[in-house]
Amino acid sequence: MSHRSKGSRSDAHSLETDHSGPSRWSHCRKRGIDGNLRANSDDDADDRGKGHAHSDSRHSSFTTPESAGPVSRCGRPSDWGSQVEDEEMRRDLHRDTQRYRRRILAAEVTHRERKTSSGSSGSCDSREGDNIETDEAMLLRRQKQINYGKNTLAYDRYIKEVPKHMRQPGVHPKTPNKFRKYSRRSWDQQIKLWKVKLHAWDPPAEGCQKGAQEASLNDELDELDLGDIMDIELDFPALTESQNAPLRVHNSSVQDQDCGGTPVKVQKTEPPEEADMA
Amino acid sequence: MENSTDDYKIQSFDPDSQILLKTALKDPSSVNLEKVCSIIVDQSLKDVVFSKEAGRICYTIVQAEAKQTGGNIFRKHLLNRLQQEFNKREETRTSSLQEWVCYVTFICNIFDYLKVNNMPMVALVHPVYDCLMRLAHPDALTNEEEVDCLVLQLHRIGEQLEKANGQRMDELFFLLRDGFLLQEGLTSMTRLLLLEILEFRAGGWVLSSTAHKYYYSELAD
Repeated sequence: MSHRSKGSRSDAHSLETDHSGPSRWSHCRKRGIDGNLRANSDDDADDRGKGHAHSDSRHSSFTTPESAGPVSRCGRPSDWGSQVEDEEMRRDLHRDTQRYRRRILAAEVTHRERKTSSGSSGSCDSREGDNIETDEAMLLRRQKQINYGKNTLAYDRYIKEVPKHMRQPGVHPKTPNKFRKYSRRSWDQQIKLWKVKLHAWDPPAEGCQKGAQEASLNDELDELDLGDIMDIELDFPALTESQNAPLRVHNSSVQDQDCGGTPVKVQKTEPPEEADMA
Repeated sequence: MENSTDDYKIQSFDPDSQILLKTALKDPSSVNLEKVCSIIVDQSLKDVVFSKEAGRICYTIVQAEAKQTGGNIFRKHLLNRLQQEFNKREETRTSSLQEWVCYVTFICNIFDYLKVNNMPMVALVHPVYDCLMRLAHPDALTNEEEVDCLVLQLHRIGEQLEKANGQRMDELFFLLRDGFLLQEGLTSMTRLLLLEILEFRAGGWVLSSTAHKYYYSELAD
C-alpha cells in the first residue's frame, strides 16, 4: 500500500470543491446536522487508497529540484526505511555537488589569476567546470558503487594505515571522482581497479575462500581493455604495475604495520597461497 | 545535550530491556538493533508518557550507530516497523484508542527528532498528515483523548509539517474549522483546544501573549 498516494491530485480536487463556493456551507452544515461528515471524508480516504501519486500536487519545498527526475534504477522503494535511505543519499549527493562546484570554482579563480598575472590568456580555463557530471541517476549509481567499496574492512584498514598526505597517486587506491564525465565502461573499470587495489588491505586471510574470490578478481584484471586504460590513465598512472604485480599483501600488512602505506608495501607481493595465477 | 541514560525515561522497561537499551546507546553494534527497535516501539505503543519522548532515545541510537559503523540498521527497522503499524492503524484505533494515540504521538516524535541532513524525513510527511487528518475526523473529534493528541502534535511539529507540505496543512485546517464551527456534541474543552490551535497557526505557529493569557491563565493557579 502506498502512502504516497495520499496527497493525490484528485483528492486535493475533491477537497477543494467540497470547500469552495456557497455549496461549501450548506454541504458542511448538512453534514454537521446528520452527524456524518465522516461519510464524505471516507470517500476521500478511499480515493486516496487507490495509489495514484501526483508529485505535482506537492508543496514546492517538498519537491526539491534534485529529486525531480528519475532517482534510482530500481524505482521508488515502498518501505520507509529504504525511502529515507534514498533521500539521505540524494541529499548527501546534492551537498557533495555543491562542495565540488565550489572547489572547482575556487581552483579556476586562482588559476585565472595566475594566468593573468603571467600575461598569457587562458584557453581552457573552464574546462573542469564544464566537465561536471550532473545526471543525478548516474551520480547516485556511482555513489552506490563507491559506497560498496568503502563499506569494507579493507577500506577501513586502508584509511587508518595510510594517512591522506601519505597517499601517492598510482600507488595507493584513489576513489574515482564521480563528478567527472566518464563513459560507463571507463567508470566501471575505474571502480573495479579501485576495489582490486583496496583488496591489498584485506584483513589477514582466514581461509581459502578468499583465494577463490581473488582469483575471480584477477580474471577481471586480465580482461582489461586497453582503450579503457588510456582513458583513465591520469587517475591510475600505475595501472600496469598493479597488473603485473597482483596485490597480495594482506598477509604482510599485519607484520609491518608501522611502515604501512609505503610504496614498498603495496608492491610487495607474496607467493599466492594458491596457484590461481597462470 | 546531557547524556545520562535517565533522560531517556527508560525506567519503565524491565531490567533486561534497560540493560539492552543502555548498551544500544553506548555500543550499538554489539546488540541486536532489530530487537532494540521492537522493544522501543512496543513500549511506545502502550506507554503514553514514553511515546512523547521516545524520539530522543531513537535519535541517540541512530547517531551512535552512524558514528560507530556508519550504518543505519536501527533507523531502517524503526521506520519499517512504523510503516507496519501505520498500515494497520484503523484496526488499532478500533481495538485500542490508547494504542492509536500512542502511535500517533510516537510517529510525530520520530518525525520531530530524526532528521536527514537536518531536514525532516520526506517519507514521513504524508503518513504523519494521514494520522493527523484521521484525528481531525468528526468521530475522533468527539473524543477528547484524540483531540488532545492532535493539538499537542500540531504544537510540536505543525510548523515543520507545513513547511514540508503546506497544502495538506490547509486541508487539515479545513477539517478543524469545520469541526469547530459545525460539529455538534463537542465538549467545551474540545472547542477550546481547537480554537487555540486555529489561533496558534494563524499567528504563524506562535500564540500571542494575550491569547496565551486567555488559554492558560487558569492553569497558572
